[in-house]
Amino acid sequence: MTLADARALVGDLAVFEHDIQADQRWLERLADYCERYTPMVSCDPPDGLLLDITGCGYGYDGEAGLVRDVEQRFARIGMTMKAALAYAPEAAHALARFQTVPASDEYLAVRRLGITALEAEPETETALRRAGLKTIADLATRPSAVLTARFGDETTDKLARLLGKADSRITPRRPLPALAVERRFAEPIAKVAFALDILTALAGETAQILESRSNGGRRFIARFFRSDGAVRDIMVETGLPTRDPAILERLFRERVDALADPIDPGFGFDMIRLGVARLEPIAPTQLQLEGGSVADKEVAGLIDRLSIRLGRNRVHRFIPRDTHIPEQAELALPAIEAPVTAAWKEPPEGEPPMRPIHLFDPPQPIEVIGASVPDGPPARFRWRRTLHEIIHYEGPERIAPLWWRMAQGEGLTRDYFRIEDVRGRRFWIFRHGLYGTERQNPGWYMHGLFA
Amino acid sequence: MTDFAELVAATNYSFLRGASHPSDMVGQAEALGITAIGIADRNTVAGVVRAFVAHRDAPEKARIEILEAKKECGERPELSEEEEQACKIDVRPVYGARLVFSDGTPDIVAYPRTRKGWGQLTKLLTVGNLRAVKGGCILKFDDLLQYLEDLLLILLPLSTWVEQEAHREDIEYLFDNDDAPSDQPARSLTLVPPSGLEPVLSRLAREAPRRVWLGAFMNRQGRDERQLARWKDIANAAGVPLLATNDALYAGPAQRPLHDVLTCIRGGTTIAKAGKRLEANAERHLKSPKEMARLFRSCPEAIEETMRFISLISFKLTDLSYEYPHEPVPEGWEPEAWLEHLVMDAAYKRYGENLPLEVTKRLDEEFALVRSRRDINYAYYFLTVHDLVKFARSQNPPILCQGRGSAANSIICFLLDVTSIDPSEHDLLFSRFLSDDRKEPPDIDVDFEHERREDVMQYVFKRYGRHRAGIAATVIHYRSRSAVREAAKALGMSEDIPARLADTVWGNYSGDMADRRFADAGLDLDNAEIERLKTIVHQMLKPGMPRHLSQHVGGFVLTQNRLDETVPIHRAAMDDRTFIEWDKDDIDALHLMKVDVLALGMLTCIQKGFDLMRKHGLGDHTLELDLKSDDQLVYDMLCEGDSIGVFQVESRAQINMLPRLRPRTLYDLTIQVAIVRPGPIEGGMVHPYLKRRNGEEDVEYPAPSPPNDPDELRGLLGKTFGVPLFQEQAMKLAITAAGFTSSEANQLRRAMATFRNVGTIHKLYDKMVDGMVNRGYEREFAERCFKQIEGFGSYGFPESHALSFARLVYVSSWIKCYCPAVFACALLNSQPMGFYAPAQIVRDAREHGVTVREIDINASDWDNRLESVGNAIPCPSSRWTWQKDRARDHDLALRLGFRQISGFREEWGNAIADARASVPFGSIEELARRAKLPQRALSLLADADTFRSIQLDRRDALWEVRRTPSEKLPLFAFAEAAELGAEQDAALPAMSLSEHVVTDYQMTRLSLKEHPMTFLRPIFEAEGVLSCKQTSEAKNGATVRTAGIVLVRQRPGKGNAIFVTLEDETGITNILLWARLFETMRRPVMTSRLMLVEGTVQHSKENVVHLMATRVIDRSEELDRLSDMPTSDIRLPRAHHPRNVRILPKSRDFH
Repeated sequence: MTLADARALVGDLAVFEHDIQADQRWLERLADYCERYTPMVSCDPPDGLLLDITGCGYGYDGEAGLVRDVEQRFARIGMTMKAALAYAPEAAHALARFQTVPASDEYLAVRRLGITALEAEPETETALRRAGLKTIADLATRPSAVLTARFGDETTDKLARLLGKADSRITPRRPLPALAVERRFAEPIAKVAFALDILTALAGETAQILESRSNGGRRFIARFFRSDGAVRDIMVETGLPTRDPAILERLFRERVDALADPIDPGFGFDMIRLGVARLEPIAPTQLQLEGGSVADKEVAGLIDRLSIRLGRNRVHRFIPRDTHIPEQAELALPAIEAPVTAAWKEPPEGEPPMRPIHLFDPPQPIEVIGASVPDGPPARFRWRRTLHEIIHYEGPERIAPLWWRMAQGEGLTRDYFRIEDVRGRRFWIFRHGLYGTERQNPGWYMHGLFA
Repeated sequence: MTDFAELVAATNYSFLRGASHPSDMVGQAEALGITAIGIADRNTVAGVVRAFVAHRDAPEKARIEILEAKKECGERPELSEEEEQACKIDVRPVYGARLVFSDGTPDIVAYPRTRKGWGQLTKLLTVGNLRAVKGGCILKFDDLLQYLEDLLLILLPLSTWVEQEAHREDIEYLFDNDDAPSDQPARSLTLVPPSGLEPVLSRLAREAPRRVWLGAFMNRQGRDERQLARWKDIANAAGVPLLATNDALYAGPAQRPLHDVLTCIRGGTTIAKAGKRLEANAERHLKSPKEMARLFRSCPEAIEETMRFISLISFKLTDLSYEYPHEPVPEGWEPEAWLEHLVMDAAYKRYGENLPLEVTKRLDEEFALVRSRRDINYAYYFLTVHDLVKFARSQNPPILCQGRGSAANSIICFLLDVTSIDPSEHDLLFSRFLSDDRKEPPDIDVDFEHERREDVMQYVFKRYGRHRAGIAATVIHYRSRSAVREAAKALGMSEDIPARLADTVWGNYSGDMADRRFADAGLDLDNAEIERLKTIVHQMLKPGMPRHLSQHVGGFVLTQNRLDETVPIHRAAMDDRTFIEWDKDDIDALHLMKVDVLALGMLTCIQKGFDLMRKHGLGDHTLELDLKSDDQLVYDMLCEGDSIGVFQVESRAQINMLPRLRPRTLYDLTIQVAIVRPGPIEGGMVHPYLKRRNGEEDVEYPAPSPPNDPDELRGLLGKTFGVPLFQEQAMKLAITAAGFTSSEANQLRRAMATFRNVGTIHKLYDKMVDGMVNRGYEREFAERCFKQIEGFGSYGFPESHALSFARLVYVSSWIKCYCPAVFACALLNSQPMGFYAPAQIVRDAREHGVTVREIDINASDWDNRLESVGNAIPCPSSRWTWQKDRARDHDLALRLGFRQISGFREEWGNAIADARASVPFGSIEELARRAKLPQRALSLLADADTFRSIQLDRRDALWEVRRTPSEKLPLFAFAEAAELGAEQDAALPAMSLSEHVVTDYQMTRLSLKEHPMTFLRPIFEAEGVLSCKQTSEAKNGATVRTAGIVLVRQRPGKGNAIFVTLEDETGITNILLWARLFETMRRPVMTSRLMLVEGTVQHSKENVVHLMATRVIDRSEELDRLSDMPTSDIRLPRAHHPRNVRILPKSRDFH
């Protein structure tokens, strides 16, 4: 249905763009949330999650109890859920989406699904319907060779997977950590300090396991599961493998203290997991000797170091912006974030630059004496109590206001002049407003200094 | 005061680059006191005629305005000497183009000095146009060198080229004296085009001595003076003068926002993101000579140079003298004499040796007029059209054609076979076709069969050459919907806003976006952004912002000499077509001739009908069939409202009108065609006419008060019982009754032809109504007349045009009446055309007793065809029983063809017919092998249930087809033997009849098996719902409930009422729903495919039955019962026309 058709039906229809990315982000978030049950979670876009809960029923009163737990938690965060438990991912997927007729067991339920559950090409589906084959059972009871001859391997393969006759598994969305220990709490922990203590305890547990394997970790991920579904990861990395709980504790505490966006326990954490993502045997290593990386990399390295030492908002980089308005023509962004953009445009050879090196923000009013009308430069002007006698000028450069940001008739045109005074100092001044048409007595401003 | 000429002014014909209409540019130049304005659009001269017309009409317009103002103040409507002087326009427009090069050459503005120079310029542009895809122009510096003669050139120090797509295919085009442009340079030493300002300038100065200038502008970029000094040096070094300009993009600074928005539209960006793609300031408007002198005070000679520049130009657009193509006239004959000779020959053939007096009189009158126009060779015009028609008729089989429009007033056209209306029989006035006071050339529109019109068009190109023939352009303007959409997008608004605004506009063609519209859409005009949108949209709509050029539907401009020396030629999007840059109005303004080669589906249908009749021994006919058009049986049929498929009178409204109007003659049909149109309907002329015709009301002629002649309208409105129905009656009315001059009436005609002139039509309203009231007419009558004229604006028929159409109504009715099977077959084979879907055409044929047979692999061809009925039982249901004994083709049955299967290809259909020859196919495998059909074709055939003759129903056939290898398998191919072994029986369930019907509709858009409603009848019967037949038999005033498939939804005219047509197995019911009720039941009305309606039965006098709805219920879900498929599979993409409907007919909607 087109939007126009929908509007023809419902006059006061509220319309929103479908934000696929946002849906995907939300699904990812829910997937994070479900990692509390099993690390084997995969997204089934656009609207599904697949969980392999084989052997995960412990503590939930069996698998059915686990499903109930998921339902309850999702209900708490306002999600309506359709869940199905089956022997194969395809079967669970199909039952959750296409089941219309109730059935006493999985076997029957799958067979009672319509052939839509095959999610075959529309052409194949139509052909199946035309042949009078309308349910999975209709297909399951017919010789598979007859079907393959007409509808191809894909259809029969899909059918086999759906019926649990072929092996199929889910691929977890994240590589499983090499090692993970976790702790659950009946009552959510609302204090960050307490949570960090638990983390230290987990680090101790990890250390024992690592030691028994003669391994150390280089990347540790602490995952805090909030009772409202939010999941927060804190990662620390070390240059050399380690398993010392004291070092880990210090690193984690520093990291948490330095977070720009501190950990918010909300209504509390109900589970904390510490995973070791990278394992390496603990052995002495040698530093790499080859050097000579490109300058960009060095600059980037410098920016990283300076930003960490001085704070990210203290190291800036200028980014050119596509606008005629001078004070908006460049943007100072934290250098660690700003992308390296195309080179700045050079002025024509042999000509003085059009823009000064320094801009005043805001421009400073000046007192102008003897400006020629309508659009000439002043003869002299007073700035910071000093009188400047102008001997050279170039201009005007006329920059009109951005009419689409102003109310009707507002906004003044600026006429910029590059000027030089008797002492050889070069300024960038402008008249705010066109003489006569926009203002009777337009004001003058100093906007910048050339070298 | 200084004199100054602006020589680089772009208009909005520089598509999305200039912001002002040419007329605004000329007007502003005049207001600023600029001596001359040079219109130079980007690689085009599309806008120059608009500027020319604005300049030509300006004094008259100014005079009228002053007079109007004086009238309002009660002063005497006379102009004083001074005012007369003020009305004069001093600015002089000169016409050229800004050449933008693809090879790095800076832009060059070229002005022709003489007529010859103009030809050079247009030829140069043609060269560039033909290289590019539609709308583009790819020019190189070398091209300019080839067409340099008599051009004055201003080199601009910048290039505005943007990359364009070149056309990949060459086009057959005859260039002038073999100087065809090629990628090989003409001169050996110019391999590399000069780049950079200095080399180009010195090259140009050498090639075109004393005809080159360097353009300089001061656009306040901050280094103007420095730049000017540099340009001065360059110019001095090259020895060319510097010329001051402003490189104007719009008339006044107020247009900067509009220009910025256009820039965004062009760049596909929004205003906030456009950044430096926008101009930094609002300086690129026209500036007064004084201001220019101030800007160029350091270089006053550049200002003076502009005056010298224009003094060199002697070319005027009026120099473009036009010559009709000289049709070959035998040696020793004058064209007029030859024309007369041809016509007289035809006359003797038609009327015998002794011509009727009426005919001689007409011929004398027309010949005299043609001779009096000898200076512009009218005779050639007639001969040209004659030639086209002769070509069409000489084809095998001949291409049917017929002149429409005012040509039907001319007996010359009739005798030359251009029209099939004898004007002497219908008392049509030649003066309406060609008259002395109309300076415009005649306008003959000829319709051709729509499937074969392209042949005629290509003939024209071949006959005259592409350099002498071109299709006229149509300027695509921004309309309210597109303007709002694009402006809102450029302003960075969400798509919601244009969508909301668009919803308040019914249809696409209202040219004004009033404040009310914004209020209706719930948008607050106090909001600055909305206000800005409104202002921009208003600016885009007011002068009609052109968006791009497109080709006219079929208007050809033909010349004796090279057309590309008059106007540049473009390539159309469609291959093998070329069109010129000027549209209909431009052509009129310059008095060029246009011949319209139009397409008409009904002609195809009639031709196919004639072919079938010839083949089956039913007579050999041409369009002259029954020229008297007086067979009463045909009219009997029409009077019953039995007109499905017939030309023009087949719509619901027309069918309802037929029994009320009861046509008995061709002229009645003419009125029938003309009366069901917006003009007469909105003017409230229909009921008075019907009443008077039926004698229920006295025929009286509105009369003015003395001393005016009380009978002044009697002659004009005599034939239509005192009610103006035709376009020219309304025009004459303005002249006779309101005292319009003929030029004012002409203005009125133009104003109503284009909605763009909304402003002027208001003035004309006052003028006409007041004029009529002052002369003693009743105000109410005057207002009705004007309303009608407004209605004509969109679609109104002149009498002769309606008469031409009426002939086709008659001819198609005649075929339907005597050969219903032939008619249905021809109509189906001409699809898509007309108003009805195949299902309705077939149903109608069966109701006329035609036996219709299923598509079958052993009987069908690609086209539908006729075959002998044999001893089959005749079709049982027959609504029009009286028809049977009239039908001359009752021994023919209609065999549906493969073309009815959606997605089936003609080559497959032909392959089946060829392979079948005389030996029928015995199995699917055999069919696949012999006809070499791919899998896809086989499954379509199976889906369409075409294997019944080999005892396979749809389901079995499909099951079999899916495992049948297609011709692609070489392993089996050489064996040529059946190789598929038996396999296990899949034991498929049988397909229910209702499912068959649904699938039939999906595959072929019709089913011969049953109507879908049949299966649902028990359900509805149980609810007490009546069938359509029962409803139409119900008593007047009875309250009933009826249900059916929705065929058509319409909201005609002002939208007070909504018409819905329902269909079931017994017939149709017409539902009428008042708008008020509609609003409360919008959803069921708009979405139902199966609708249940409760209402009151209303019989009209003529026994037309309507159901006045009081309640509408959507029962579409019942359709799901027909098959097990969920509804979503049955629903199809929105169909805009019933013939496009694929499955259970989704209705035709009205917005």
